[in-house]
Amino acid sequence: MSTSTDSPAGRSGSRSGGTNSPAGGVAWAFWLRSLNEVTRVRGALIGTSIAPLVFLLGTSGQFGRLVGLPGFPTDSYLSWIIPLCCLQGAGFAGAAAGANLARDIEQGWFDRLLVAPVARPLLVLGPVLGAITRSMVPVTLVLIVGVLIGGEVTGGVLGIVALYVASAGFCTVAAMWAIAIAVHFRTQQAGPLMQMSVFLGVFLSTAYTPQPLLKGWLEDVARVNPVSHILELARQSTVSGIDLSLAHTWPGLVALAALVAVFGALAMIGLRRMGR
Amino acid sequence: MIAGVARESRVVTALGRRALSVQFRRAQLLMPTFVLPLMLLAVIASGTSAGRDLRDFPEVSSYLGFVVAGTLLQGALLSGLTSGMALANDIEGGFFDRLLAAPVRRSSLVFGRLAGTLGLAVLQMAWFLLVALLFGASYPGGVLGALGAAALAVITAVGIGGLAIAIAIRTGSMSLMQSIFPFVFVLLFTAPAFFPRDLLTPTLRDLSAYNPLTYVVEGARGLLQGDASLGDPWIGLAAAVGLAAFATALAVLALRDRARRT
Repeated sequence: MSTSTDSPAGRSGSRSGGTNSPAGGVAWAFWLRSLNEVTRVRGALIGTSIAPLVFLLGTSGQFGRLVGLPGFPTDSYLSWIIPLCCLQGAGFAGAAAGANLARDIEQGWFDRLLVAPVARPLLVLGPVLGAITRSMVPVTLVLIVGVLIGGEVTGGVLGIVALYVASAGFCTVAAMWAIAIAVHFRTQQAGPLMQMSVFLGVFLSTAYTPQPLLKGWLEDVARVNPVSHILELARQSTVSGIDLSLAHTWPGLVALAALVAVFGALAMIGLRRMGR
Repeated sequence: MIAGVARESRVVTALGRRALSVQFRRAQLLMPTFVLPLMLLAVIASGTSAGRDLRDFPEVSSYLGFVVAGTLLQGALLSGLTSGMALANDIEGGFFDRLLAAPVRRSSLVFGRLAGTLGLAVLQMAWFLLVALLFGASYPGGVLGALGAAALAVITAVGIGGLAIAIAIRTGSMSLMQSIFPFVFVLLFTAPAFFPRDLLTPTLRDLSAYNPLTYVVEGARGLLQGDASLGDPWIGLAAAVGLAAFATALAVLALRDRARRT
């Protein structure tokens, strides 16, 4: 963990003045520092990489027989669940950005950043970029393993692009939310709250079964939950019953943009309060 | 001898009380432990209830009552993990080092933390069973069946708490403990937590035979539904007690090792 002044962020203070874009230099340094978590914090990638993978295997094994029900758009539950696990992995990576920030706050490192002559949004941008970069590991791992054990890539290259866009976007949403939580509670013990939100956001959607098979209140909640649209965007990659089309794409993109705007605003408000 | 036991009992009680009060001091952080399993219960009961139409799904009075055993198990996993995280926080904050310097038995430090886990788990299980009942779950096994299922889950929570404490003592890292959080769901989903074992895919069905939580959840299900064909409570009890004993021993060994190193 780099909490000393010789950290990349610390070194950038002298370097950024020499770049054409000081803001870009600072964001770059914070991004690099976030990536350092992978090598400096033991087990930093375990939760985000291995867990979605085992979740993929566990969930498809647990509920795999559901594809036998009328109304299921694919006969491969693995293909149905791959995008869900990709989003989960990306969401965990995003939530980890908040947990790491909470640790920096607890240890006093973040106070030093707050008094630095740096625009506040940059303090958030670096960790978010780092989280997006880290999220590519579980997303790729889940996709590769999923396909190797029988999942189908029905959407071709564009479908895969849609899956990565959905995952990176969901990671950003989770990171913004987790950062908002971190600057509010200012303790690492808020970690489960960050991760739980990712779980709930995903589960209160068409996570396990398609909309027509949902019953009761969940049917209504999943319909209005923006994550259902993000999942649909991602599912164009592997679910044969969800063709690659604009109609399956734009609702997910709009949902991502709206969530990033709302949670980004929350994070910035919390950050501003913290600096007072 | 008796005086020594009485003194250590007081230590365990005091540490257990502290563990509980520290966790409840910031109740909003404890909320995931109490709310997340219920949310998942609601989602799974609603999202996968169509699975009841599958052939080979056992006859049960309510699907909610069937899957609530998985919720108890999940609660046990979360309360155990929470204990490990709280201990890692104490280690990072330096409080645990002060405890190590105190003139008490090392094992009492572990038992004290586990006493807190036990208290938390008792509250959790009562809460889960009550809320599920209010939302329409039925427990044909009656009050005794519900109490027995809760007891199985509480013992399991102590076992998971022991594992989490052992990891926390070995690593002393809050970040690592939080990385472990998703693995809670790995343990959960490699057991027939929400679907009958016979309806799992063949690979998972074979794998679940090696997960002790399989027997705990099936035992709890058998007790709640009053139907031993869904799971043998005695085998569940043996699995829960075995896990608790093994994990506690692991935690005590980890603590002795840490004390030797520091």
